[in-house]
Amino acid sequence: MIRQLIELKVRLTWNGVRHDVQRRFGFPIATILLTWLGVWLASRHLGLTTDLMAANPRAAAGYAGWAAIIFFAAWVALPVIIFPLDENLDPQQLAVLPISSNQMVAGLAASSLVAPAVVVPVALLTANAIALGDAWWMIVPASLVFVGLLAVGSQLFSAAISAILRTRRGRDIATFLILGLAAGSFFAYRSIATTVQEAGITEAVLTNPVTDWAIALPPVAAQRAIVEAASGNPGAGVGFLAIAMIWLIGLSYIWRRLLEWMLTTPQEGSRPATRARRLGMATGPWGVVPTLARKELRFYVRDPRQRLVWTGTVIFVGLAIGGTVMGASGFFDVRNNDWAPLAAPILVLFVGLPIALNLFGWERNAASYLFVLPTKPHQLLLGKNLAVAVALTIETLILAIGLSLFTGFWNWTWLVFPLMISAIGTQLAVGNVVSVLTPLRLPREGTDIFAQSTEQGCLAIVSQTVSFFTIGLLLVPPASVAALTVSFGGVVSPGFTAAVTIAWGLIIYLVSLALASRLLRRRLPEVMSWVQIV
Amino acid sequence: MTAVDSVDLSIRPGEFYGLLGQNGAGKTTTIKVIVGLLRPNAGQVGIGEFNTWENPTEVKSRIGVLPEEFNLYERLTGAELLDFTAAMHSLPKDEAVTRRNDLLEMLDLTSASTKLIGDYSRGMRKKIALGAAIIHRPPVLFLDEPFEGVDAVSARLIRGLLQQAASSGTTIVFSSHEMHLVEKLCTRIGIMVEGRLTIEETPAGLCEVTGKDNVEDAFIAAVGGDGVDGSWYDG
Repeated sequence: MIRQLIELKVRLTWNGVRHDVQRRFGFPIATILLTWLGVWLASRHLGLTTDLMAANPRAAAGYAGWAAIIFFAAWVALPVIIFPLDENLDPQQLAVLPISSNQMVAGLAASSLVAPAVVVPVALLTANAIALGDAWWMIVPASLVFVGLLAVGSQLFSAAISAILRTRRGRDIATFLILGLAAGSFFAYRSIATTVQEAGITEAVLTNPVTDWAIALPPVAAQRAIVEAASGNPGAGVGFLAIAMIWLIGLSYIWRRLLEWMLTTPQEGSRPATRARRLGMATGPWGVVPTLARKELRFYVRDPRQRLVWTGTVIFVGLAIGGTVMGASGFFDVRNNDWAPLAAPILVLFVGLPIALNLFGWERNAASYLFVLPTKPHQLLLGKNLAVAVALTIETLILAIGLSLFTGFWNWTWLVFPLMISAIGTQLAVGNVVSVLTPLRLPREGTDIFAQSTEQGCLAIVSQTVSFFTIGLLLVPPASVAALTVSFGGVVSPGFTAAVTIAWGLIIYLVSLALASRLLRRRLPEVMSWVQIV
Repeated sequence: MTAVDSVDLSIRPGEFYGLLGQNGAGKTTTIKVIVGLLRPNAGQVGIGEFNTWENPTEVKSRIGVLPEEFNLYERLTGAELLDFTAAMHSLPKDEAVTRRNDLLEMLDLTSASTKLIGDYSRGMRKKIALGAAIIHRPPVLFLDEPFEGVDAVSARLIRGLLQQAASSGTTIVFSSHEMHLVEKLCTRIGIMVEGRLTIEETPAGLCEVTGKDNVEDAFIAAVGGDGVDGSWYDG
């Protein structure tokens, strides 16, 4: 049965690559990017471990433990924080098959490893084996257990978040959970980076021995089994391997119980009628564009994933505050700069990217409903753009005021408005064209709302990275004019800067709107078929 | 693979046209091409004097569509979906509210109007989708399997609504596997076989051509399904 689920995953991946244009491009891109990442990480890991082994074997053991826990945490959490990077078979579709829960869990875990992303742990584990390679009899089983922990851990974590999002209250708290996770990751990263920078890697791992916690940290236990065996302690090695295996069985059991609950319990319904719902959409602005924008704004709040996107701004507030509190230098050290509030429009640009660059992907199958309505392409784009602009404006202003309050500088806060118009106009300009040319299909909201194909996730990242650099390039002129106003002796008058930045944003946006409208008119069936979930 | 091939279909104003065919015959594809969701490789399609691919907005403002898979906005309430659709059809706000309330009451959805559509049953979704398809009183209605998966009460309600629309002059294009309803409602029937329109007749004419007593038998004979006996378990 496990073999059949693996074969199913292979067949689905292969059919996807053969028949889906996005995957045909995305798969090789994903494989190349991930191979590069895996080789780069592996060579760094190999070099560092070899150096530490030569200098201080105890430090090498400590570093190996830290490497295991950091990689495990990243592997488990990244798909949830930055959205899908890996495709999982949907347990819902397997629920009526005559397979036991244990078979399902084992099959799902094994099939999740049929993905290009697996080249990264494989490369890292190979480097790990080469660096610590005196006990091959232990390296092989411990590495397999580690891979098992990666598979089960990531599936369990995604399933847990999906389960939380199935409950009414959970849909609210999941946002904060994921944001907390993102913020926690950042603070952990800053803390580790600072410690290593100040004390050096050897001292840092010796004074913070994570291997002491191996019993409580399954990936560290698996890694310590290898280290102990390589150090001539086969008994301790076997002991830690047993601990890692017990953890693997325990996590699998929890995942199994969670799946059983999710497969037999319906999603909790929506909350009781609020005043807004009783009034329908008949109160407030009416007409094609405003009503479409209001529909979008409702989805920003009601769709848990879109809500996660928009509340992402908290991450950046956290980054700014965290960087400042920790006394980090460079980008985050904004305390002494009176232009700090002007960073708000640029920071907020990151937040809206997943929606601004994929305006139609979020429609999923409802695109076929929207596209039979007598809405002109430019009205569709205007309505969706208006909603994005409203959300970005609110977020920019909150962040700008927050930065002004934090730094105590208000003299340039007013300039946020024209810069914001320029930044939003540019982002929407690029977003409109990208949304029509490469709309990305989003996964069905099943038992794993984070399920999506690796190649599609990578294509999304590539598309968004290229788009972001394009947005950045287009923002160079207004940003330069603003810089000449607030720095370099104020050689350009503030009024001129405001006029230029507003005009720039509007011109770029209007040109793009005309182009994207023409493209959408021609490509409407293609856009619909690309975003629909089959 | 060709989904629909050389279909020459002309439907007159006020007709209740039944588009029939086996699963995969090309009915849904044909409707999608007519309403502008699928681009044909060749040929012309339109509503009245408007070509679907040259004047898409004019065509879409004159049609209402009830697709087989509703694909509605699950995170809008029933009332919000009707308001949204009315606004997209540029109805004045007061008129939209009146029509919305009337439709919700007629479709027996008033008490569910503040619930999200994601929480609706299949029958309720079908009814709210029908409401959204007719809120702007379109002169042409496309209905893909409107009776599939609905209970008897809802089916009667939908049937009444369609008869009302037909009597007020609305042209209805209707695809269904419920042959007794096709026989009762349709003024003309077109049968598709493997992407081609093979027969166009009135219900009585179809029975006459195929030498059968009712539309169901006539349809089975027309698509060559006479020899199917379903004896798999015996083997």
